[in-house]
Amino acid sequence: MVRLTNVGMKFNLGIEKSFSFKELFIKTFSFKKKKKKTEYFWALKNINLDIKKGEVIGFVGSNGAGKSTLLKVVSGVMKPSTGKVEVNGVISPMIELGAGFDVELTARENIFLNGAVLGYSEKFIKEKYQEIVDFSELHDFLEAPIKNFSSGMIARLAFSIATIVNPEILIVDEILSVGDINFQEKSRKKMQEMIDGGTTVLYVSHALDSVRSICTRAVWLEHGEIKMIGDTNEVCEAYYKQEMKN
Amino acid sequence: MFFVNILNNIKKYSFLTKQLVMRDFKVKYKRSVLGVFWSILYPLLTMAVMAVVFSQMFKFQVEGVNYLVYLLTGLVMFNYFSEASSGAMASVVTNFQLINKVYIPKYIFPLSKTLFVGINFLLTLIPLLLMILFTGSGETKCIINIYYLLLPFAYLCLFMFTLGMGFILSTISIFFRDMFYIYGVITMLWTYLTPIFYDITMLDPWVQGLMKLNPLYNFIDFTRVIILHGTMPSAHSFFMCLALSVPVLLIGMIVFKKNQDKFIYYV
Repeated sequence: MVRLTNVGMKFNLGIEKSFSFKELFIKTFSFKKKKKKTEYFWALKNINLDIKKGEVIGFVGSNGAGKSTLLKVVSGVMKPSTGKVEVNGVISPMIELGAGFDVELTARENIFLNGAVLGYSEKFIKEKYQEIVDFSELHDFLEAPIKNFSSGMIARLAFSIATIVNPEILIVDEILSVGDINFQEKSRKKMQEMIDGGTTVLYVSHALDSVRSICTRAVWLEHGEIKMIGDTNEVCEAYYKQEMKN
Repeated sequence: MFFVNILNNIKKYSFLTKQLVMRDFKVKYKRSVLGVFWSILYPLLTMAVMAVVFSQMFKFQVEGVNYLVYLLTGLVMFNYFSEASSGAMASVVTNFQLINKVYIPKYIFPLSKTLFVGINFLLTLIPLLLMILFTGSGETKCIINIYYLLLPFAYLCLFMFTLGMGFILSTISIFFRDMFYIYGVITMLWTYLTPIFYDITMLDPWVQGLMKLNPLYNFIDFTRVIILHGTMPSAHSFFMCLALSVPVLLIGMIVFKKNQDKFIYYV
């Protein structure tokens, strides 16, 4: 379903500085010809991973370990610097909810815009429109511009749009902690439904409890490398122990 | 194969393109009382200002034609170019949030911007039509003629050229942000190097020769020959319009395609 072979992702930390006009000017006219110093940072190194259909994989690791980068590589947002990514199936990315929203537009207009961003067809959204609205429970606010929405309401809307499809591969990055308790429960149920329906899930979370409860396998990333892979409980246990030691 | 790919992509992402165009349209006119009417009023007002400045203060004249229509034919096309190309230039950077989160072909942003300003452009043809119908008298009266059917050709060339420039500019501006400021100056210079309010026969022959390489001059001149003189544009004119638009579009597409994977590290 998803196969990563020797995937590496290199970032150039010096990029930010060397592209301003001032810097260029100074470099061109300065007498001290300094060698351009480039610092590289490997966000991912040598990742080999094979995910089968219907698996629910949890990714754990400290901040900056490369979890989000890995998801972006799988979803096609970033091309890996080395190695190969093979994906079979339709991906629904839930990397950050509401990335395609325009705050000036109303909730109704945003459903169409965001749906288009996620790759749905016009016919599909028209059919599912009512279902999206019902799930989000935002009936009374459809004609209000979403800049007046609370973050919880935006998250509700975004989650409802993103989960209306039955994708073959679902990518989830820290989103189940949105909304009020009622909606959290509702979204957890929805996720479970999709998993039961055979959707492959790549799941990133710092909440080890939720990883334990839904994942069939876990991957522990550290400094861009896979430190441990295997049974969810064992991986979470080991990761938790190390974190507590530091 | 390459073209089949492009066609498939256009079909697949046409809904997204439509949504992005609609978003720009809604956001632009939200909260303004006159809304869409501004698209019609704005060129008329600019034309009025230019007419007062150049024909009244500087006593400018272009012999034997309706000066108001002369101004407006140039203005609507130049305004389209400058607005669409600078909008397209900024489009990738301003939509970075999206590009960083979901996979979307990046060319959609310059394309939807160029199309959106295109809708605006079509609206500005209304005031142009009004001026053609209601101004001028005697021999300067413009008459709607059969050659009007050729106008879309010039507008299509303008669109292709603008889109190509949009691709090139958005690519440059991602790696080199100063481009936003530099391009502002370039556009200003370009306004004066394009015969919007003057006629190129007023210039030295060698400047005229140079001017004829300006794509915008060629597109504008093509429409003026039809609208002001009611004659068929020359074969040379057709050729120049194509030769200055299609290659720019192709170069733009290639430049954009070659660099698009690197965008994400720079925005």
